Amino acid sequence: MSVINTQTAPTGPAQKVAEFHTPLILGEHGLCPGCGEPVALRILLETLEELNLVQRTIGVVGHGCYGSFVRIMDIDVLQCLHGRAPACATGIKRMRPDTAVFTLQGDGDMVNEGLQEVIHAAARGENVTCILLNNGVFGDTGGQQTATTVLGQRTKTSLEGRDAEQHGYPIRIADIVASLDGAGYVARGTVNTAREVMRTKRLIHNAFESQMAGEGLSLVEILTMCPTGWFVTAPDGPDYLDSSLKAAYPLGVLRSRSAEAN
Amino acid sequence: MLDSTSEHELLILGIGGQGIQLIGKTLAQAATASGRHAMLAAEYGGEMRGGPSQATVVIGERPLRSLPILASAGSAIVMHDRFCGAVPERLRPGGLLVVNTSIVDPAAAGESYRVGGLPATDIARELGKPQTAGFIMLGAFNALTGLVTHEQLVEAMRSLLPPYRIEHADSNAAALLAGSDAARELELSAAVAA
Amino acid sequence: MSASAPVAEMAPLELLEGSTAIARAAILSNCRFFAGYPMSPFTGLLENMAKLMPAAGGVCINAESEIEGVNMVIGAASTGARAATGSCGQGIALMQEAVAEAALNETPLVIFNMARNQQDYFQCTRGGGWGDYRTLTLAPKDVPEAVEHTQLLFHLADKYRAPVILYGDPLIAQTRVGVRLAAPDLEPLPAKDWALDGTMGGTGKSRQVWTWAMGKVTDPGLGPDGHWRAVADKFEMIAAAEQRWESAYEQEAETLVIAFGSAAKFTEYVVDQLRAEGHSVGWFRPITLWPFPGAALAEATRSSRRVLVYELNAGQMLDDVRQFVHDRDTVRFIGGVSIHESGLSYGPLLDAPVLRDRILAAMAQPTER
Repeated sequence: MSVINTQTAPTGPAQKVAEFHTPLILGEHGLCPGCGEPVALRILLETLEELNLVQRTIGVVGHGCYGSFVRIMDIDVLQCLHGRAPACATGIKRMRPDTAVFTLQGDGDMVNEGLQEVIHAAARGENVTCILLNNGVFGDTGGQQTATTVLGQRTKTSLEGRDAEQHGYPIRIADIVASLDGAGYVARGTVNTAREVMRTKRLIHNAFESQMAGEGLSLVEILTMCPTGWFVTAPDGPDYLDSSLKAAYPLGVLRSRSAEAN
Repeated sequence: MLDSTSEHELLILGIGGQGIQLIGKTLAQAATASGRHAMLAAEYGGEMRGGPSQATVVIGERPLRSLPILASAGSAIVMHDRFCGAVPERLRPGGLLVVNTSIVDPAAAGESYRVGGLPATDIARELGKPQTAGFIMLGAFNALTGLVTHEQLVEAMRSLLPPYRIEHADSNAAALLAGSDAARELELSAAVAA
Repeated sequence: MSASAPVAEMAPLELLEGSTAIARAAILSNCRFFAGYPMSPFTGLLENMAKLMPAAGGVCINAESEIEGVNMVIGAASTGARAATGSCGQGIALMQEAVAEAALNETPLVIFNMARNQQDYFQCTRGGGWGDYRTLTLAPKDVPEAVEHTQLLFHLADKYRAPVILYGDPLIAQTRVGVRLAAPDLEPLPAKDWALDGTMGGTGKSRQVWTWAMGKVTDPGLGPDGHWRAVADKFEMIAAAEQRWESAYEQEAETLVIAFGSAAKFTEYVVDQLRAEGHSVGWFRPITLWPFPGAALAEATRSSRRVLVYELNAGQMLDDVRQFVHDRDTVRFIGGVSIHESGLSYGPLLDAPVLRDRILAAMAQPTER
């Protein structure tokens, strides 16, 4: 990795590239250096712009570090109770069926507190898109274990690393949702390299298309870096993700109604 | 002062399978359709047949003050005495008591009430429609009290039949008429003041 | 203020079970989203909504849990739709976090507590959620009043942007009574420009429904401190403006009986009976359990020698009576816990002869005044 020269200011073009962002992002996020969640937010909002959905999108944001995104995303938003986003999204979409409705939830939100909400919404085939930001920890409360913490991963409540006998096994929620007939599109991506960011943006794009085609519930699970929660440095986040979460949560498309139809 | 004649309260008692709820509903519906205020409350055991079944109907000219758990009633229909005896506990002295003499012995009612009886179960059997005994009692009761017109009763009965039971309309109407006719022969025992 | 909303006199009487009447009254008030979980005696209302909503162009979902149901309703209501849920006290216990959430993010919704008895008074008036909020609660005495209150509640929920409660019970849910149903005739309310519909996306003024009310970095909100203070102030204002009650003979009666909901209807009946026999007795019933009509109660009990509290629980409204009554020494509790053997409805204490005996026994006791 090359060392950046901090003695001279960045050039104009370099500065422009660094500052470029969709106008839907209204300001800087306050999350940790190396966090994957702001990357996920960016590709989500860019997708809404590219699909021309910005003026008919309603977001439902749960509780986690990403909760602060409500202050910087220029979208109509309901900030809801921990775990309940898919239920709120159900009510919103049923009353406004022409809108694009998404949930933004962390793994603690969706797979701990909200396990039945996402499963029931998927079973019912609600036409909403659930975005899961999965970093295997409760980041906002300081880094405790969640239902998706992988074996061997250290957290504040599994200090020696998650151990199957003591702490049980992680839940692969995307696989469970993909097994339900009401699910239209389920995929898993990550944002730890530029290439994966582009691929994951494509998955989000497919998910919203699936929603607007009325195919049922779409879920995009995005493995995100959490150096703080993982006890690693920011630059080591991407590699740690490769060796831990990615091994437990294989990437790819798990279910696609339209692909099956073709 | 609460004028007890301004609201008519009726207790209907029997066992499951005798149509207790249906006759209560029919009377309440007839009163409502004629523009009066009515209330219908029900109590029954868990079984579909054979358990206790009770309905209460209240009819009045103004919004009702009577309670869904009736404090007392001025009239009663007793189709079966298995759970309540011949005389319902809440029937006021001097009240009207119409019993199904095929099952209930009117002599057991004592002297405090105006008692009339007809063998509704037997009449229904003679008509070839044993399940219409309740309508026979209802036709008789209404003829005795004039709470609604006979036509209103028949119309309410028809309006309450679900589409898959509509073929019973005529036999139900015949039962209501048989009860009304039988009521003309009825001699009510006089209530002896306590 | 003791007025209740006027009912259209032109609509014909229809003999309806309370659950059906309430469902139809809600739909006539433009309720278009309902979600709930079966639980006796609320189940009838859910079934009626399932049957009637689709034809009205609305949505009824048999939610997989009470918590999902109330959160669906929050979602629906956040888009500006009139939305409702319900249960009995046990199910509403599960919903408490969401009720507080709706109060603090100012989402209007109507909650039908079709309770099994009168033991949920504390739940409605004190709440089991978090934060500084109150839930306006109406307690009808019979089916016709439940119809009126249903329509008034949708209006008040929207007027104040808050969750509100109807306190029903098995008698109201299951008794059939002749009622008149019509669209409500209440004062028009401003448009819901706060409602989420997606249209403000990308304008810099996109909308938020958020308990913390932090707004955007480009357009900051009050934040939790300012917002929760404003919400608390709003409930103070509602407390002053929305007290409802009814009473009779309180000026001259030596003994005043206090009751709410169905128990109040029994009380009115028995008091009439006792007055016909020459007794000096009257009644007072709060119609809003919160805000409790405390000043009115104080006034009504000014010359009472006995204040008898009749409720089917261990003494819940009793606390509010004691707080506001003119003279605490006059208060006697003549209610009690009384449960049907099924556990699902009232026991023998809710009965006119029993109440009559209790009032007479209390009147037979000497008083200090």
